[in-house]
Amino acid sequence: MANFATMSVREIQAGLAGKQFSAREVAEDALARIAAVDPQIHAFLEVTEEAAYEQARTVDEAIAEGRLAEMGPLAGVPVAFKDNMNMKGTHTTCSSRMLENYVSPYTATCVAKTIEAGGIPLGKLNMDEFAFGSSTETSAFGITRNPWDLERVPGGSSGGSAAAVAAGLATVTLGSDTGGSIRQPGSFCGIVAVKPAYGTVSRYGVVAFGSSLDQVGPFARSVEDAALALNALAGHDPLDCTSQQLGVDYTANLAEGVAGMKVGIVPAFMQAEGLDGEVRAKVEEAAAKLESLGAELVEVDLPNAQAAMSAYYVLGPCEAFSNLARFDSVRYGYCAEGHKDLGGQYEESRHEGFGPEARRRIMLGSYLLSAGVYDKYYYPAQQVRTLITQDYRRAYESVDVILAPVSPRTAFKFGEISDPTTMYLSDMFTISINIAGNGGMNMPVGLGAESGMPVGVQLIAPQFKDENMLRVAAALETVYGPAPVAPQFAVER
Amino acid sequence: MTQHVTEKDVRDIATYTRIALSDEELPQMTKDLNDIIDSLKPITEYDLEGVEPTFHPIGSLSNVMREDVETASFSQEEALSNAPKQQDGYFLIPAILGGGDQ
Repeated sequence: MANFATMSVREIQAGLAGKQFSAREVAEDALARIAAVDPQIHAFLEVTEEAAYEQARTVDEAIAEGRLAEMGPLAGVPVAFKDNMNMKGTHTTCSSRMLENYVSPYTATCVAKTIEAGGIPLGKLNMDEFAFGSSTETSAFGITRNPWDLERVPGGSSGGSAAAVAAGLATVTLGSDTGGSIRQPGSFCGIVAVKPAYGTVSRYGVVAFGSSLDQVGPFARSVEDAALALNALAGHDPLDCTSQQLGVDYTANLAEGVAGMKVGIVPAFMQAEGLDGEVRAKVEEAAAKLESLGAELVEVDLPNAQAAMSAYYVLGPCEAFSNLARFDSVRYGYCAEGHKDLGGQYEESRHEGFGPEARRRIMLGSYLLSAGVYDKYYYPAQQVRTLITQDYRRAYESVDVILAPVSPRTAFKFGEISDPTTMYLSDMFTISINIAGNGGMNMPVGLGAESGMPVGVQLIAPQFKDENMLRVAAALETVYGPAPVAPQFAVER
Repeated sequence: MTQHVTEKDVRDIATYTRIALSDEELPQMTKDLNDIIDSLKPITEYDLEGVEPTFHPIGSLSNVMREDVETASFSQEEALSNAPKQQDGYFLIPAILGGGDQ
């Protein structure tokens, strides 16, 4: 087995261009590796063999006609998608019984763009049910294991997307991030994980969770691979009116280094209660490395950041309550049998179809939006959003990027955190970025001194300046190297 | 710990959200919701006098319209392809008027 899915985009494309192997061989090999390795991880919910071979044929035809360069930035690259992304003819379950038998009649824009860019689609990836969670343990179809330690969670909600890349089962995967669901699993699995600025990538065809917060982004093992994927994904889509035409080449400034850049450090984040020492040490180390590469470290204050947590757990459930009202057991989704009245059919279908966390968030959102309660929580949460956004704007008057922790700790063990409010703390450093709408990413910086598990740092960009964080990430990559495939699944070359 | 919602409130919320919560599930759900609502307390303690709300990270959007032109859409067959129950090209639901059988 050649293990093409453990290679970078450039390595694969050089091999294709040099006729060392064909796209057909890449697809065959990647599918064989999934069959051999994924039973230990369970990143995939569905493998799209037919679509993979069909796309490989398209890429091989382009190569035969001398058109590889025109194929797009992901030509011949093994890719896979979080299971909340519609891909025509595949199941799109959101890891929920509610959508167990749903077959997509259309394709999400982010999936279509990845395939148009030449990506070879391998399948659909496990997640927390409807993206409600930080460990992928709430999936109705079983847990996903962290490739670095099979007894630990991969993070969530995009746990399958992160684990697949960390185990070398795909070169690029897509995830979605509402409060940290790309960055936190990226950190737990030790890979590059980018949540672009809100509006960078179309969400059309991605099952909605929190519509004012959701954003799609790539996972990869190198900054360049992530930037190439973002080039393929970004752009205006008439089917998502929040999507912007920014016209940025995210690979353009990766080699420029950080000399002269100003990197913000938030003292309140670094001193936060609950931040593990081994994570703090790694963030401090990364800051020192950036300084030695010529960046200037500047302390910045985000005085309202501590309100982000409660604002998020108001806004997220309210939007989820509204978005999940569409599951009515009539048009699509699970339908409980044997009901002679429509009300009974609705109630039993939604009770049996949704798992406990989904039910909790729907009911919480309903409560928070009810008359008299709305003014106490929802409206203030939107005012807090103004304050948080202003904080970031002010901070970026003096810095080009902010460096922070991603998760307060490294990957935890299965079942270790069962209390919902404690689980919510996993997102303490990531959610304010969704509330403000900025881009943020995880950049792996080696292993924690105590746990031996991957630690990542978060780089946060000014709104619609995601090229800043990718540039800083690329500089860190010159120090720490690209993200490796987890040792247990690494291959010699 | 303040009690924000009683079991009766939670029963009402379940009815409103069309989720058939069982009697056995009611106490745990009531506890979970009270715990979570308690953790939201900071939002009620902020001085937000005169602060405008931001409902969306991209503030400049309003009433985005497309051209009023016909575009391709689902066929009836595709639109019904995921329906749990259908009949004669329609979604099928239990009778909602009268007491008749379906």
